[in-house]
Amino acid sequence: MCEDIVFDCLHAEIVNYCIASNNKHVDLSTLEYIGFTTGYRLIERLTRDAPRFKDELETMKFICTDFWTLIYKKQVDNLRTNNHGTYVVQDKAFRFLTRISTGSQQLEHAPKFVAFTCGLVRGALSNLGINSTVTAEVQSIPACKFHIEVNRN
Amino acid sequence: MTVFNLYIFDKFGTLLYYTEWNRTKKSGMTKEEEAKLTYGMLYSIKSFVAKISPHDPREGFLYYKTNRYALHYLETPSGLKFVLNTDTAALNVKELLQLMYAKVWVEYVVRDPLWTPGTPVTSELFQTKLDEFIKQSSIFGLRSI
Repeated sequence: MCEDIVFDCLHAEIVNYCIASNNKHVDLSTLEYIGFTTGYRLIERLTRDAPRFKDELETMKFICTDFWTLIYKKQVDNLRTNNHGTYVVQDKAFRFLTRISTGSQQLEHAPKFVAFTCGLVRGALSNLGINSTVTAEVQSIPACKFHIEVNRN
Repeated sequence: MTVFNLYIFDKFGTLLYYTEWNRTKKSGMTKEEEAKLTYGMLYSIKSFVAKISPHDPREGFLYYKTNRYALHYLETPSGLKFVLNTDTAALNVKELLQLMYAKVWVEYVVRDPLWTPGTPVTSELFQTKLDEFIKQSSIFGLRSI
């Protein structure tokens, strides 16, 4: 309980700080990059005892279960793929959005609170050898969809 | 038994939130004026109680009662003030306020990243949760005859 609130508050402040320092136009790249480096380091610690992953799908499953549980205290609600390198991860009650009101005004603020997690997932996958682009989509708070596009080349 | 209204003030006397349920008598002034008056009265009572008490006033002012209603007061260590008006038959309101602070205020206001400390609360989520919380409590609804 205590550690939850520390992480939530720190995350909220990092968001505020990153937004405030370049308030001309909202730029989420700093936030995404912080997430990327965090995810990159974190995955080393998390896979300490895990065996090597068979394939890409297994890696994604790991992200959706163990990785998500460790950070957000729950598993994702849905994982979908077209088997061509596109994955859609759905979380129906995304941790950083559960304390925000549902409303169109609040919806505008939603991208700020998902940017870090996009980076986190990208960083984690990157260290597992998968180069990807991660974007997020919030249609109604607190549900959130993360689109993972694997770059093959 | 019933609940009339609720004020939440911060340590500087700013009205952070006001809502009412079964209030029948209006004060005939604006919400802001009424809040200032209420805060002023509470401030006076608090210092009066502190000065007049024959023993060390541990918790200070807790509540007062008139023939028609009771005003319950909870002040947190951070100086937040929760003021709930109920009818005179309500029991354990102090525990209720404490629970509301911990379960509703801390969860849905303090942890809302879009709320700036020291400003009035506009979160609809908080309003809904607070309404649910009060309506679930035992002191709401049962009107004594």
